[in-house]
Parts: sequence; structure tokens; C-alpha cells
Amino acid sequence: MADARAAMDGDRTLAYATLAPSFFLLVLLAAVPTVTVFATAMQDVGMGDMSGPYVGFENFAWALESQAFYTALWNTFVWVFGSVAIEMIFGLGLALLLNKTFLFRGVARAVILAPYLVPTVVAVLVWRYMFHDIVGIINAGLITVGVIDKPLLWLNSQSLAMTSVILVGVWKFFPFVVIALLGILQSIPQEQYEAAKIDGASGFQQFWRITLPYVMPVFLLTALLRTIWSFHKFEIIYLMTGGGPLDATTTLPILVYLKAFSDFEFGRGAAVAILTFTILIVFLGLYFLLIKRAEAHQ
Amino acid sequence: MAQLEIRQVSKVFTDHTAVSNVSLTVNDGEFLVLLGPSGCGKSTLLRMIAGLELPTYGDIVIGGRLATRLQPKDRNIAMVFQNYALYPHLTVYENIAFPLRVRGANTKNVDEKVRWAAGLVGLDSLLKRKPRQMSGGERQRTALARSLVRDPDVFLLDEPLSNLDAKLRHSAREELRQFQDRVGVTSVYVTHDQVEAMGLGDRIVVMQGGTVRQIGTPEEIYQYPADTFVATFMGSPPMNLIQQDDITLGFRPENFLPESNYPSGSDVTRIAFRVYRVEYLGGDRLLYGHVCGGLPETPAIARIPSSVSYSPVVGSETPFAVATADLRRFETSSGRALPVDGIVVERRLAHG
Repeated sequence: MADARAAMDGDRTLAYATLAPSFFLLVLLAAVPTVTVFATAMQDVGMGDMSGPYVGFENFAWALESQAFYTALWNTFVWVFGSVAIEMIFGLGLALLLNKTFLFRGVARAVILAPYLVPTVVAVLVWRYMFHDIVGIINAGLITVGVIDKPLLWLNSQSLAMTSVILVGVWKFFPFVVIALLGILQSIPQEQYEAAKIDGASGFQQFWRITLPYVMPVFLLTALLRTIWSFHKFEIIYLMTGGGPLDATTTLPILVYLKAFSDFEFGRGAAVAILTFTILIVFLGLYFLLIKRAEAHQ
Repeated sequence: MAQLEIRQVSKVFTDHTAVSNVSLTVNDGEFLVLLGPSGCGKSTLLRMIAGLELPTYGDIVIGGRLATRLQPKDRNIAMVFQNYALYPHLTVYENIAFPLRVRGANTKNVDEKVRWAAGLVGLDSLLKRKPRQMSGGERQRTALARSLVRDPDVFLLDEPLSNLDAKLRHSAREELRQFQDRVGVTSVYVTHDQVEAMGLGDRIVVMQGGTVRQIGTPEEIYQYPADTFVATFMGSPPMNLIQQDDITLGFRPENFLPESNYPSGSDVTRIAFRVYRVEYLGGDRLLYGHVCGGLPETPAIARIPSSVSYSPVVGSETPFAVATADLRRFETSSGRALPVDGIVVERRLAHG
């Protein structure tokens, strides 16, 4: 008995010892910055030594009373729901198409992944060039076809900038949706369709009554995941427009960056970051709820 | 209710021929079993009847109507799949109702039919369950009910019992047969399990390598196998085959008994047997050994009921015998059965 207990204690020591490095790394990389941001948000930090007088929730009060915050919040929702909606519909359509048997299907499946694999900076530089009002291929193409008669300011007009950014975001991230949905589509047993055919279901009925219910849990989960990821997306928007023109594409992460590193109001930037974080936590809770429901479904 | 005819049907895939020139007729209300090892073409044949595969050659006629190129839904057939293919997101009720709903039946009619079909298979109390909340047997019955809910002309079953555990399979087989007797619908049942085939089929079609080896009642097939393939495929342990030049002798293990067991003067063929191992199976003992004494030394098995008092002596040559009426002869080169004295073996060979 004593031996067994000693052995168990030994096991436990070993377990803690091997867990310790990861634990400290996590603390260092996640906990410390989070706490620091909280601390910063409570101070009136300006340029200089990264600390300032304690001001309590003054920075939060500023954020919740400022037009900039609500504009950024609105922009974030437009960006998130605009891109996620298009990604999901487009992604489902493409996944259904790629699930059919056709020549070069393997090639098509590989090619579809390309945008997801191109480094964001490279992709954005190319897109910016394509969106250029004078030399961009998009304006040139649209004028040639006759859809427009003079160049559009894709990235430099308040009305079009968000649309352009969403377009690039969709292009970059729809492959993720396609792959996720293709995975679940391929897991649908063929017998389900055969049984349905014998039972008399038409092609549309097979889609509506078998494919869609089968795909739905993964579809919702993917949509939510894409929502969370789009919500804190920074580089695409920043590289495309820098949040402009004016504040037309300033989403919450961009606002955090601009406050901190452009206006050097670190305290206010941190406060906005915390608020963004809080909204994200709500989505995260929803995500785990969905996962739990999907697991219960299995 | 309908007769089903398969006329010289073949299915050629790019790399192999799955079904080769098969013709057979399933009579109205008959329970026909397609039996064979995996890859023999039985499932492909069933799928062609269902319309899930198109025959390369030949025709399929259901109830006097040419159905070769009809869509599955236009054939008025029903099919039970090996894994049941229930819709996981629908309740038992909605699963059974599915064929009616997609055909746009009105709600009252649907409810009546669903309850009728569920009642037939004893699922009345489980209608609100989802497939994942049910046992294998209950799922199988759901699949049965779903396939019957719209009065099919022909009922196709693709190894519906193979996903059940051994104990359940036995009772499910019994239920299935009673059920078919009650409904009386023409049925084609695919299996690789000869016990299932014997127990269920009015007639059995033994297939191998895409061709039909024999069609007959379970008794005909067991007693008078058309060739050595059928002889060894049917029965467990299989028929003993002793090759003697141009002729191959065949006899079932249970017909291979010590000579002393036969009343004196009965017409028996003596075969010396050297036992090297005895397997006790409760009701029977299996004696593994070699036939010897004049015949070519060949492995053979004898099955002796435990009720017969006999103590095998391992290693020594013992006089055994087969009633001459139970002895079968096959042509060694082709494997085909030779006529048995006084009995014309009706082989009905499709490839003959």
C-alpha cells in the first residue's frame, strides 16, 4: 500500500513537472498580456513610460460615450455579417458542387484552397492593385464590359470601401467554409440518398430533407467560428484601407490600434480592446453551446 | 403484388463483370434469397432490380411491365439496406412517413398508414424516438416499416440482419419470415449467410463470380447440389469431396457414420476413416480426419450426434460408411453433379 501511494505521489510530481513549462508559457503569453491590458485600461497612459495616473473606469466611460466607438461597432457588424453571410452561402454552393463527381475534381478541390494559403500581405497588395481606380483591372474590366462609364473609387470612397474590403475577406476565407462543409457532405452515407430515391424523393427533396439537415450543425458551427474570427480580423482591413477613408472601415480592432499607436492614447485603446473582448466572449459562449448540442446529437 | 423477371441481365463495370447473363423469375408472393460469397454479384443484381444500377445488358420486368430503364421511384419497389439508411434527424414516425411525404400524401392518410406499418412490426410505442436512441433490432424494424408503408410490388432486402448480433439475428429472422408470410409481398433477399438463406427462402439462388450456380428450394440445394461449389458453400461443415480420377465423390458430414451404426444389410458404401481430432460441440461431435483405405487420402469431417454412443479412437483406421443414397457424384473436370440413381437433379443452371 505504502509503495503504491509513493508511486502515485511520484506520478503526480512527474505530471506537474511536465505540465509546468506549458503552464508558464500560457501564463506568460496569455495571462500576463490580458492583465496588463486591464491595468492599462484603468490608467491615463500617454507616450513615454507606458504608465500613468490611475483613472478607474474613465477610459471605458469615454469609449461608451464616443461616436468613434459606436461607428466602429457598427462597422464591425457590417464587416462580420456581410462577409460571413456571403462566405456561408457561397461556400455551401461550392461545397455542393465539389461534392459531385466530375473530371478534375481533385484539382478543383486543391485550387479552391489557394486563397486561404496565400499570405495575407501578398494577397492584399495584389487586391489593392486590382482595386486601383486608374490602373486597376477591376475598373478597366467593368468599363470594357460597359457596367460603369467612369472609374469607381473602390478603396477611397466612403460608400464603397467596406464593400471592397468584404469582397477581399470573402475571397480569402471562403475556402475554409468549403472545406468544412465538404467534409460533412462526404460523411453523408450514400445509402441515405439511395433509400430516398427508392422512396420517391426528387433531387430537390433529397437536398432539402437529407443534405440540409445533415449539414446544418456543422454549417452553424462554421458560421459562428467565422463570425468570431472575422470579428477580431485586423490585417486585411488595415492593409487595404487603414480603417479609412475617414472611419468608413474602422472596425473595433482597427480602432484599438489607431487609439494606441496613432493617437498614443494607450488607456483608451486598451479600454476598447477590453470591450471587444467582452463581446467576443458572448460569441464564444454561443460557440461552446453549439458544440455541446452537436455532440449530444451524435 | 407482382411477379419479377430478370432476363439475361449482365452488369459490366470498367474493370470487371459483376453479373453475367443471369435469368430468373421470382413468383408472385415468393421469398427468393440470393446467396453467395462477397463479390459474387448478388448485391449488384439487387441494385439493378431496385434501379440504383443500370444493367449493361438484359431486361428487368416487374409485374409484367418493362422496368429496365425506369427510375427507382417509378418501379414501386421498396428496399431495406444493410445499415438501414434511416434518416438520423427524423423520428421513427417521420422516417416511416418519409416515402408518403415526398409523394405529397395528405396528413390524415399519412398518419393512418404510418400507424398501420408501425403496428405490423410492433413499433407503436417508439414512434417519437430518433434512430440513435434505438437498438439494432428496432432500427431494422423501422426500416421494414418504412419500406412497407406504400404497398410496394416487390420488396428488396440487402443483408438486413448482418448488423445484428448473433442472438438477435435468430429472432429477427423468425420475425422477418412470419412478417413476409403475413404481408405476402414478393421479396428478394440478399445474404452471404447460408443458414439465413435456408431458413428464410422459398427458393435460393446460389451465385458465384457473377453467375447463377443453382436455383432451388433449400432442400434441393442442400441435398442435390448442382456442382462442387454449391456442395461446399452450403452446409457447415461443408460437404466432403473425395476426388477419384474423373469422378469426385461427395457426402455430407452428418451422413458419414461408423459402419456399425447402420443396420446390417442396408445399402451402404464403405469408406475407411482415420480420425486425428475430435471437436465436441454439445449436440454433435465433429471428427476431423482422413479417408483412406483404397481411396486417395483426403481430409474429411464426420458429424456424429452426441446421442450416438461411439468413442472415436484417434489415430487408428476405422470402418465408416455412407448410405449409398446419400452419396453424390461430380464430374471432376467441370465440378458438375452427375445424375443420382432414380432422381433427376433439376439443376436449372443458368450458365449450363
